[in-house]
Amino acid sequence: MSVASSATTSGLALSPLARVLLGLPKALAITAFIGSLVGLAVASFTAPDGSASLGLYRDLFGSPATRAAILRSLWVAATVTLACLLLSYPLALFISRARNRDLMLILVLSPWLTSIVVRTFGWVVLLGNRGVVNDAILWLGLSAEPVQIIFTPFAMVLGLTHVLMPYMVLSILSALLQIDRRLSEAGMSLGAGPVETFARVTLPLSAPGALSGCALVYLISAGAIVTPLLLGGLRDRVIGTQIFQEIFHLYDFQRAAGLALILVVTSLVAIAPLQAAEGWLRGRISRL
Amino acid sequence: MAEQALAIRGVRKSFGAVQALRGVSLDVARGEFVSFLGPSGCGKTTLLRIIAGFETPTAGEVDIGGAAIDHLPPYRRPVGIVFQNLALFPHLSVAGNLGFGLAVRRESAAEIRRKVEDVLTLVELQGFAERRMHQLSGGQRQRVALARALIMQPGVLLLDEPLSALDLKLRRQLQGELKRLQRRTGTTFVFVTHDQEEAMAMSDRVAVFRDGLIDQVGSPEEIYRRPLTRFVAEFVGETNIIEMRAAEGMARLVNLGGVAVPLPPGLPGEAVLSLRPESVTLLPPGSPGAIAATVTDLEFGGMTLRVLAQVQGAAQPVRAAMPSERAPPGLAVGALVGLGFDLGAAAALPREA
Repeated sequence: MSVASSATTSGLALSPLARVLLGLPKALAITAFIGSLVGLAVASFTAPDGSASLGLYRDLFGSPATRAAILRSLWVAATVTLACLLLSYPLALFISRARNRDLMLILVLSPWLTSIVVRTFGWVVLLGNRGVVNDAILWLGLSAEPVQIIFTPFAMVLGLTHVLMPYMVLSILSALLQIDRRLSEAGMSLGAGPVETFARVTLPLSAPGALSGCALVYLISAGAIVTPLLLGGLRDRVIGTQIFQEIFHLYDFQRAAGLALILVVTSLVAIAPLQAAEGWLRGRISRL
Repeated sequence: MAEQALAIRGVRKSFGAVQALRGVSLDVARGEFVSFLGPSGCGKTTLLRIIAGFETPTAGEVDIGGAAIDHLPPYRRPVGIVFQNLALFPHLSVAGNLGFGLAVRRESAAEIRRKVEDVLTLVELQGFAERRMHQLSGGQRQRVALARALIMQPGVLLLDEPLSALDLKLRRQLQGELKRLQRRTGTTFVFVTHDQEEAMAMSDRVAVFRDGLIDQVGSPEEIYRRPLTRFVAEFVGETNIIEMRAAEGMARLVNLGGVAVPLPPGLPGEAVLSLRPESVTLLPPGSPGAIAATVTDLEFGGMTLRVLAQVQGAAQPVRAAMPSERAPPGLAVGALVGLGFDLGAAAALPREA
């Protein structure tokens, strides 16, 4: 490990046939993705008479409800990302040092054994006006009538955080498990206590993993539909539920296309700095 | 004896039913270079981790600079470590690695910069401060790991086989550098290794470990010339184990077909001897007092020539070594030779060991 490695990781030799076979699915996926994006863009910039037009976007951004939905999507995704990060990092750290790591990991991943609809309905049962939480509030006399928890942005954030935490835990955990245990010992031998060793060694080395978890969670929650629909309702809409509404209730595919494009662009803008920071941090960590 | 840097008293360590250390005591003087030598699983690395504070001994105590440190966590001990895999911080530059401990101590940036410059000069890496770890060669990383520990001016520097991953030539070169740095800084070194040549080449004293105990502590020469146990005799260098019984002024060599040679003075009536190959001389066959043998193998090692010769009726061939230019003419595999034993140079070993 301490010797300069002369082997390169990219030197994998592939036969031409293997290249074609491996390249084909990639090409298909990229073509389908780019193709549909272009299709969405063309549809959204076309006026009913077939000419190019910005009318749809003037319309979308002109509507206070749509503007609110876009902004709500952004801050809900950001809040969910932050909540996932703050809750998942300590959990991942704990799991990385636990003796029965595999069991812990299974517990973290167990929500994925049920469908997202079922998991979210669990929250409905808990948070509804006649749910467990409100029963407790009424019984304790904290309030005379049920508190509105469900169908609020708070419930949406709660549900999304619950659903998306495993992604964050896995991202951080994989980074933590790659850190050589001797590095912590080296830190201690240089006088750093547990807290300082964490701050100077463990945290910087796991930061890229945490950032990639953030990007993942942000992307999924910005485009989420099921959880916002079930827990946020149709009053406090986000882009995802708005698109759902346009397609399945109003049959306005052009507006749906425009909203989808807005979602893609805002997500890219939000993710770019995360990706850049992650790349910069990774570049500073030597692979030994 | 100079002031004590490290005192190990009656240290035991059990992992479940396994006894890694079975009562080890050792004093190391300030500025001394001591090696823990032994095969893997002998307990030498466990003792190192106990001194560092990463393991708690089952019994016994460790003092550094005259003060007990057993109650201190690793980060409060005046102990530096160079790890086997070096454990350099991959997210920091050379300067970041070297200044790590000083920054933890809250020394000023100017002070840290000055000390980093000084230690870089010491290990001859001037101008490398801003390099990242992947931009260094194996030998340079080695020196950074050493400098990172030395900059803290530890009471004791523990080195856990830090050279084992390097090729032979680089290892030789770094052995010399390590020894030079140790002398120049006057730091107490405790060097763990399974390589007896490495231990002999660098150490003031060598502690030979076997099964959780120290078999012998002494200077490399003592260990080599006067081994106290058969294990030490066989682990350090090559040797011939000879069972001898004295009778009527002659020594009968029981495990060499029972041949008899003149009994040198000062040997007991019955003994197990360790006779180094260089104390065995090759004589023309039929020389008076020589033991007849057939050459079974020759190993030309540049400076020295090693010979394996079979005595009739012996279980094992006899090892002889000599400066290669003094090899008798016509020496070849299958040749008949006479072996002369300088039993006066042999070390008597306790019989059971």
